Amino acid sequence: MMLLGRRIQVEQRMAVPKSAVVIVPVVSVIFALVVGGVFLALTGHPPIRTYLDLLNNGYTSFYGITDTLGLATPLICTGLAAAFAFRMNLYSIGQEGQMYLGMIGGTWAGIVLADSLPPLIAVPSVLVFGALAGAAWIAVPALLRARLGTSEIVSTLLLNYVALNLVNFFIFGSTGFFRDPTTSFPQGRAVAESARLSPLSLFTEKVTNTYPTLFVAVSLAVLLFWFMRVSNYGYETAVYADSPNTARYAGMNSAWLQSSVLLVSGALAGVGGAMYVVGPAGKVDPGLLQVGLGYAGIVVAALARYNFLAVVLAAVLFAGLRTGGNALQVSNDPVPIAIAVVLQGAVLLFALGGELFRRNKVTLVRVQSATT
Amino acid sequence: MQHNAEVPLALAARAVTKRFPGVVANDQVNFDLAHGEVHTLLGENGAGKSTLASVLCGLYRPEAGQVVRDGKEIRLNSPRDGLTHGIAMVHQHFRLVDRFTVAENVVLGHKSLSFVLATAEIEAKVAAITEKFGLPLDPRAVVGELSAGERQRVEIVKALYQGAEILLLDEPTALLAPPEVEKLFTTVRAMTHAGKSVVFVSHKLAEVVDISDRITVMRGGKVTGSVRRGEADVRRLAELMVGREINIVARRAKSPVGDVLLSASQVHLERDGTAMLTDINLEVRGGEIVGVAGVAGNGQRDLAEVIAGLRTPQQGNVTVCGVPTAGSGARGARRAGLAYVPEDRLGTGLAPSMSIRDNLVLTRERGFLVDRKSALLEAETFIKQLEIKTPGPLTPTRKLSGGNAQKVLLARELFALSGARVLVVCSPTRGLDVGAVETVHALLDEARDAGKAILLVSEDLDEVMTLADRVLVLYRGRITLERSGADTNVERVGRAMAGLAT
Repeated sequence: MMLLGRRIQVEQRMAVPKSAVVIVPVVSVIFALVVGGVFLALTGHPPIRTYLDLLNNGYTSFYGITDTLGLATPLICTGLAAAFAFRMNLYSIGQEGQMYLGMIGGTWAGIVLADSLPPLIAVPSVLVFGALAGAAWIAVPALLRARLGTSEIVSTLLLNYVALNLVNFFIFGSTGFFRDPTTSFPQGRAVAESARLSPLSLFTEKVTNTYPTLFVAVSLAVLLFWFMRVSNYGYETAVYADSPNTARYAGMNSAWLQSSVLLVSGALAGVGGAMYVVGPAGKVDPGLLQVGLGYAGIVVAALARYNFLAVVLAAVLFAGLRTGGNALQVSNDPVPIAIAVVLQGAVLLFALGGELFRRNKVTLVRVQSATT
Repeated sequence: MQHNAEVPLALAARAVTKRFPGVVANDQVNFDLAHGEVHTLLGENGAGKSTLASVLCGLYRPEAGQVVRDGKEIRLNSPRDGLTHGIAMVHQHFRLVDRFTVAENVVLGHKSLSFVLATAEIEAKVAAITEKFGLPLDPRAVVGELSAGERQRVEIVKALYQGAEILLLDEPTALLAPPEVEKLFTTVRAMTHAGKSVVFVSHKLAEVVDISDRITVMRGGKVTGSVRRGEADVRRLAELMVGREINIVARRAKSPVGDVLLSASQVHLERDGTAMLTDINLEVRGGEIVGVAGVAGNGQRDLAEVIAGLRTPQQGNVTVCGVPTAGSGARGARRAGLAYVPEDRLGTGLAPSMSIRDNLVLTRERGFLVDRKSALLEAETFIKQLEIKTPGPLTPTRKLSGGNAQKVLLARELFALSGARVLVVCSPTRGLDVGAVETVHALLDEARDAGKAILLVSEDLDEVMTLADRVLVLYRGRITLERSGADTNVERVGRAMAGLAT
């Protein structure tokens, strides 16, 4: 690339300097804000004030942060699901569908099992059935991948559409088990009260949108982080991801590794869907179809560079941009949703693009004429 | 030709210094190349010779010093700048597109390409070059189907097509079989006859003596000596390379051989309907090294993998320390007491992105949790004992040089598995420099003296002849010759390797 008689030279770094780990993300976010600011200014919104609004509505106000954490809760799960598979070079993008199945499976447990159970058992059983349903939804792609080497990308993606239509069928297309029998209005049948959690009150009278499932999601992240670091399973998956030939040489069972990783990934996404049931929804709710938390999980995983602990932070960042962006639309000086999405996109693009600067040394070189 | 009596040098480096984090790869290096000359850069891995070649072709920019072309200083910011000055490098790892034809690869990246490729014209031009320089190649062949030697020819043709006058060949013989090396040398001579100059980067002493007009030896980023054709003495060059005296002598079993620890009988292996191994019978006793010689692709890898439990033969038995292991998998063979050093160190024997410590537990029995504490101690011990050059036990193995990576692999397979009494080793010194070869051979010798049974599978005939107490020749999946190491000679084994009656 030429630039005023200079050339941009990209050299791979031999070792990543410690400072780059901090500086690069910070500079990335600043650049994203500048680019977003240009769009805001062009559409007649004062950038600084809009950003402060976003910050306030997404993170720093009481309702802002509790809304954000509530939205981040299932997002942490789908982010973990994506990161878990991607670390093994298995590019499952079926988190969206597995999450819907988690909602369906969790609701089934909440209706059928929970009635006779105390909340201490009912809530976990909803989550467990959500996990099982999510795993079941990825079982066929997992088997195809492990046995026949079929691309999991295509198979998991296609099943997302099947899952989407399944939810629509249960609520709008039929009057079956998951449909609320007490009304002709198309909505889901509610789970037993014992299968629901109340939102966190955080020592105030205010009603929040954050549910105790947040702690479950964060615990899952910590547990995975620890388990994959110290366990034999974590070791074998890491070897396989690094070099399948080495795994074969060491006598590891690659079919088992591939299918189990995909199943766990599906289960994690399923738990996310079940959290939606024990938390805000309490039923099979087509509202989940509008949020795209499964696909967002892929972005969150990429942003976190597949690190399970970083997934938590990335999910909160992403959820905050969502809630803050939504709030901007209904403020006194409404910012169109398109601009809010541009902002989200800019932050994510620059955060991912910053990776180039972390891994490479980029310098401007004076270009000499070719023949001297 | 120039008018003045003193012809300026084709290319020269003046006091070139190039640093990488933590290492000075080139320290005030001077190097020059006359027109029509073959000048070899000789040195061990990590001596800085590839770095110097990369500076000369424009891939790296030096921190200090100059590159001089035909008496004038030039500044190279990229390999493309190098090309405009007629300098091209042929890398050790080929940079070709497998799905493209030879001709397409040759013009790839060429500056003056028309929108629609003039395929016929390009192919004719490529054919002319291949003919002139003795590079037999079909311009229409798909590169993915070519052998390593042919791919290298494509790289050389590409450089010539782009008008290179100076060719830098980085370890060009590393992947070639002996007959292909001969062909390469013919090409090099054809190029110098045509007035082109060649820098030959290598660590293989024996072969460069033939081809070079001059040899410059590097060690630790510095030039340690330079000799002209005719003055070259292998022993002296080796000392310049390693910095101390070395001697590669035949090593044979000292103790009388023990019990049979490894045996294969009537092993027959088919893959995709083709017989890969036929009627293999062999025995290895404790305290001896049995060498398996053969030209690449005659079933060596399958033989090693059958014994290591990675492939199940259709017929026949394998026993390790008295336990039948055919069909019991890699873990089964290991439990019976087998250790296996595969040919492909970084891609198979080690997990390249993982640390030395984590690689040491690869072939261990692991519980639910991985015991990294003892592995760390073990790594530190090995690093000290075997003088593995690394910043520490947590360094990823891909950052180690070939010799040091091999030491990690050998250490794990030889010592970490306390129970292993049978060792299968494949091409253990491939791509290693003289000093590392010596260390690896000493380690194998030590293991033999400790009473282990070693099957050494190697395409390097010299290695087999140096180490083995008995030699087998594998030809088209059959054992065609078996002799004790002391009473056979290279010629006889060579004939068997070529499939000729002995």
